[in-house]
Amino acid sequence: MKITKLLAAFVALMLILAACSSDDDAAATTEAVAGEDGGGDGDTGGKLAAVIAADKIVCGVNDGLPGFGVVDDAGVYNGFDIDFCRVVAAGVLGDADKVEYKPLTADVRFTALQSGDIDLLIRNTTWTATRDGQEGATFLFTVFYDGQGMMVPASTGFTTLEDLADANICVLSGTTTELNLAAVFGARGIPFNSVVFEDNAQLNPAYQEGQCEGWTSDASQLAAFKSAIEGEGGEDQFIMAEIISKEPLGPVVSDGDTEWAQAVEWSVMATVQAWEFGLDSGNIGSYAGDNPNILNFIGTDNFNPGLGLPSDFAVQVVTQVGNYKEIFDRHIPAIGLSLEGGPNNIWTEGGLMYVPPYR
Amino acid sequence: MTTETQEPQGSEAARPPFYRDVRVIRVVGQLVAVIVVFGIAYWLVNNLISNMNRLGISTSFDFLFGPTNTAIPYHEEFAIRSPVWQMSLVGIKNTFLAAIFGVILASVVGLIVGVSRLSDNWLVARLATFYVEFFRNIPPLVLIIFFGFAVFTFGPFPIFSESWELKLPGSDDTLLIINNDRWGVPGFTATGSLVLFWVILAAGIVIAAYMWRRRTKHFEQTGQPHHRVLWFTGVVVASLVVAYIASGQPLDVSWPVISENRRRVDGGFIANWGWISVTFALGLYTASHLAEIIRGSILAVHQGQSEAANAVALSAFQRYRFVVLPQAMRIALPPTINQYLNLVKNTSLGTAVGYAEITALTKTSVGNGRPAFQSFIIVMAVYLVFSLSISLTLNVVNRRLQLESR
Repeated sequence: MKITKLLAAFVALMLILAACSSDDDAAATTEAVAGEDGGGDGDTGGKLAAVIAADKIVCGVNDGLPGFGVVDDAGVYNGFDIDFCRVVAAGVLGDADKVEYKPLTADVRFTALQSGDIDLLIRNTTWTATRDGQEGATFLFTVFYDGQGMMVPASTGFTTLEDLADANICVLSGTTTELNLAAVFGARGIPFNSVVFEDNAQLNPAYQEGQCEGWTSDASQLAAFKSAIEGEGGEDQFIMAEIISKEPLGPVVSDGDTEWAQAVEWSVMATVQAWEFGLDSGNIGSYAGDNPNILNFIGTDNFNPGLGLPSDFAVQVVTQVGNYKEIFDRHIPAIGLSLEGGPNNIWTEGGLMYVPPYR
Repeated sequence: MTTETQEPQGSEAARPPFYRDVRVIRVVGQLVAVIVVFGIAYWLVNNLISNMNRLGISTSFDFLFGPTNTAIPYHEEFAIRSPVWQMSLVGIKNTFLAAIFGVILASVVGLIVGVSRLSDNWLVARLATFYVEFFRNIPPLVLIIFFGFAVFTFGPFPIFSESWELKLPGSDDTLLIINNDRWGVPGFTATGSLVLFWVILAAGIVIAAYMWRRRTKHFEQTGQPHHRVLWFTGVVVASLVVAYIASGQPLDVSWPVISENRRRVDGGFIANWGWISVTFALGLYTASHLAEIIRGSILAVHQGQSEAANAVALSAFQRYRFVVLPQAMRIALPPTINQYLNLVKNTSLGTAVGYAEITALTKTSVGNGRPAFQSFIIVMAVYLVFSLSISLTLNVVNRRLQLESR
């Protein structure tokens, strides 16, 4: 009876597992110290030094989302999220090109972060409580305030979610979009059927062939695909005015390493600070004024707040990649969204982009 | 063994030192192997758990009782606040549905194609060869995607609101609804309690099985024809009728109906595109392997058996049915079990077409913040149970099929 033996072995393994999970914290800490030789990545306080030693940042990204992360015909990564990987490389290593991109699907991104496969995740990832709490992830400065919308073919004439009662709605699996769809339609008592796909390359044709009557996703993604579909001569699309969720997107690092988290966060925030100061890639190198805040910001007289970053990191970031507005203008208007009047504008003009003072 | 032959009488004084004693070495060797295996497993798991603890990731299974918060495709009746374990049950049911229909399809097509490959008819044999070479040389994932997207998304079927409906002649009832998203056929719906129905039916099947054995014994003792298939089917059908009437006719035919807004199919039995794609792709793929197994097994039956069958003037059908196939099946069964197991495991590829089987649903739930490690432990256990039950069942059948004399 080989099978009985196999079963017994399996049960034994489960028992060991159960025993391990009930171990108290003290045992776990000693193990964690012992485990450092093997793991290396993500150990407390070690990531920044490890990144500098490796002289490159491994960045988890999207490779199929127009405007945010795409690979062009020459094999070069390009997009809003990609530029923020470059921002961190410029800030930490002084060279925006020292990035190794790892394309990830939505459902493996956190595992890649937990295992230390990537140093940094910038992949249109929404900050939520569950992800913050259960995925061992630390969400940093929000670089893009998005919201979920609904797109339908313009010919249908649908304008509200109620028009989609009982309809098939296309959505990506493993995303917060899927949860919002269920929550919003559930709350309003609108019956629906979700048709899930693993990525947009499969969802897009299914939607265009009429298998779904609605496509729900972040408004920025819908805008990107709307312009892509119409540009290729497809049917006219309509994005409903209603925004059904908050989707703050930003860089994510692994829990337990504040030094690395700070280095990433301040590199990213430098783009907004430069914008606020009126500095851009053209003029930051030749700043000749005497505003003490700006002088600190560009690292004059070796001002260094002790973030573990070179004192001229802001200059490197802005000269090599640009300030926030430059990065935004490079990628986002092309997919049909504008800065003016939206939440991604600077706080002095009514937006939400507000960073702590650099002093 | 060798030690005992070398040592005369096995006297205590003549025993070699313990480190050269085969009996000791055997026990110690196995003990060490067990300790090493469990030690490595313990080390790996412990490492994992402590790393998870360090990162503040939960290692408990409590999440199973938290709300799912998501809808399951093609299960509109599923309440989004249901606990996660209920979602897993839906996934297990869907995995089972794809596996069982896939196995049936593969077996039927595999048998037909396998026998056809040996046909004397040139065209039939070539077509069968083409089938085998075509399907077994394409990865199952590609086939699933092909079925999903080439047949449904870009295929000939109309969109939902323009579904084809095939009416029952002279009636308003719909026999078949087809569109690029789901197909509806008539099904059954319970109008009362089914307990009595199932009890009577089960009793009927037990009686039928008893009749089968009795007829077999009768045949062995007297040599008269047993007609056991006839008897068995007769008793089952009779018990079906009795059960249906005795329990107050609790079943009704439910016809598929397209809703007023032409976005829903109510009633009937509904197959969604993911399920159809997975079942057909895996069924036809596995059939190509089964066909080769069956062909090989038939060829492995000694030529003399066919010649002997010819000599006693059996027809071609009788030769296959009573002489060749029973012997071929004996050879074919073990590799067939492997193919069935592969099919069950391959259903996990259904996630490519959004089919809500256990792997796809788990991936969704992991993407929504459920712990990946625990979730996939459960998925592994599910496949293990599925596969072990198949091999256990078929191993029993296999043992009974083997010749006693071997």
